[in-house]
Amino acid sequence: MREIILACLTLGITGFGFALILAFLSRKLKVEEDPRITQIFNMLPSANCGACGFAGCRGFAQAVVSEGKIFSGCIPGGQELNEKIAQIVGVKSEAVTKTKTIAVCRCGAQSGEKKESAEYEGPLTCKATHIIGSLDCIYGCLSYGDCVKACPTGAISLKNKRIYVDTKKCIACGKCIVACPRKLFELVPVLESIGAYAVCCNNTEKLTNVKKVCSRGCITCGICTKVNDSPYYLKNNLSRIDFTKTKEETPLRNGKEKCPTKCIFKLE
Amino acid sequence: MSSLFAIFISAILINNFVLYYFLGICPFLGVSAKAESAFGMGVAVIFVMTIANTVSWLIYEFILIKFGLEFLQYLVFILVIAALVQIVEMFIRKFSPPLYKALGIFLPLITTNCAILGAALFMISKKYNFLESVFYGFAGGVGFTLVILIMAGIREELEYSDVPVVFKGAAITLVITGILALIFMGFGGLMSA
Repeated sequence: MREIILACLTLGITGFGFALILAFLSRKLKVEEDPRITQIFNMLPSANCGACGFAGCRGFAQAVVSEGKIFSGCIPGGQELNEKIAQIVGVKSEAVTKTKTIAVCRCGAQSGEKKESAEYEGPLTCKATHIIGSLDCIYGCLSYGDCVKACPTGAISLKNKRIYVDTKKCIACGKCIVACPRKLFELVPVLESIGAYAVCCNNTEKLTNVKKVCSRGCITCGICTKVNDSPYYLKNNLSRIDFTKTKEETPLRNGKEKCPTKCIFKLE
Repeated sequence: MSSLFAIFISAILINNFVLYYFLGICPFLGVSAKAESAFGMGVAVIFVMTIANTVSWLIYEFILIKFGLEFLQYLVFILVIAALVQIVEMFIRKFSPPLYKALGIFLPLITTNCAILGAALFMISKKYNFLESVFYGFAGGVGFTLVILIMAGIREELEYSDVPVVFKGAAITLVITGILALIFMGFGGLMSA
């Protein structure tokens, strides 16, 4: 019995002793941190995507309070959030895009549509294959998934050697744009009650050269530009969308359906 | 003094905490992906192991033995380590914010590092005196740092290799750890028992 009591007492007193030391030291060694940092941090989406350029949401909150600037703002947070943060720090916030944008991969070819004449053996990353070259089309998606790995929300997926971006998960942080060695990603606006449309081809060569390497590439036929009120225009042997002319969905849809190689896509 | 040197060599090369006793595998696997973070973890472990051994030995000698409560060593040592890590974290946060930023996340990770508890328990079972215990803690930490740096170097090179999908990540790291353990067994003959 004596042992049990002694053991309990010893352990209890040692534990209590340490707790006192810790409590005392935590007060003495307190690091004063501006409460605004925690306040701002709690408002952030906590995705830690790094689009703001800082080390995660905590880094952004600390930088905003210590520098008194919003910098380029929290991109997933949007304009509303940045205005709230600006109020806390007492600054006027610069505009962040008002419309939701998402990233889109401008290569719509699946396995079988883009030619691969070489047999590749080497590191299975887009960065490596881009240098060495495994696809016939030197502008197209290499489909080794560097972007899939870079996406902080898991919005990018690879199916049949084609990239799909989940419009609901994409926060337009821009990491995929950096990750793709062929610069295939682009931020497109999600148009009100329409959705996001994009021409998925990056090949800036003429028709015959495109047909040699891919059956889904843009052949610059111009059919999409000839529909009524077409927002499409041709540049650099590629069709592009002028987003200042996209009030209605009909011309976009018509262009998409009339495209002979089906390289115009609507993102879901 | 030769016994201190022997403890030093043995804890680092022959009876390495990670490769001989297989302790501390958790942070070893988790933090060995990059050389910088591996070094940070290693330094933190050296720090904590040395101080933990010191304090634990003192408490063991002057409280536990005195009251015949040696069997409480497991509980008391864990208590000491947990409290110590918190104190060390507070000190670093206050007096060296850049060091805190570099090591910051790893300090709490060390509480769950069984190698620290291992060092404390082994010094008791090997009946080391005060100086030997402190040295043992320091050497154990250095051994851990050595191995985690080796692993970080290997893993950074591994990024460019074609690892089969089933092996990627923890699997190949464990296989490599096993091979490293075999290699370190070669040091066994360094000192005659």
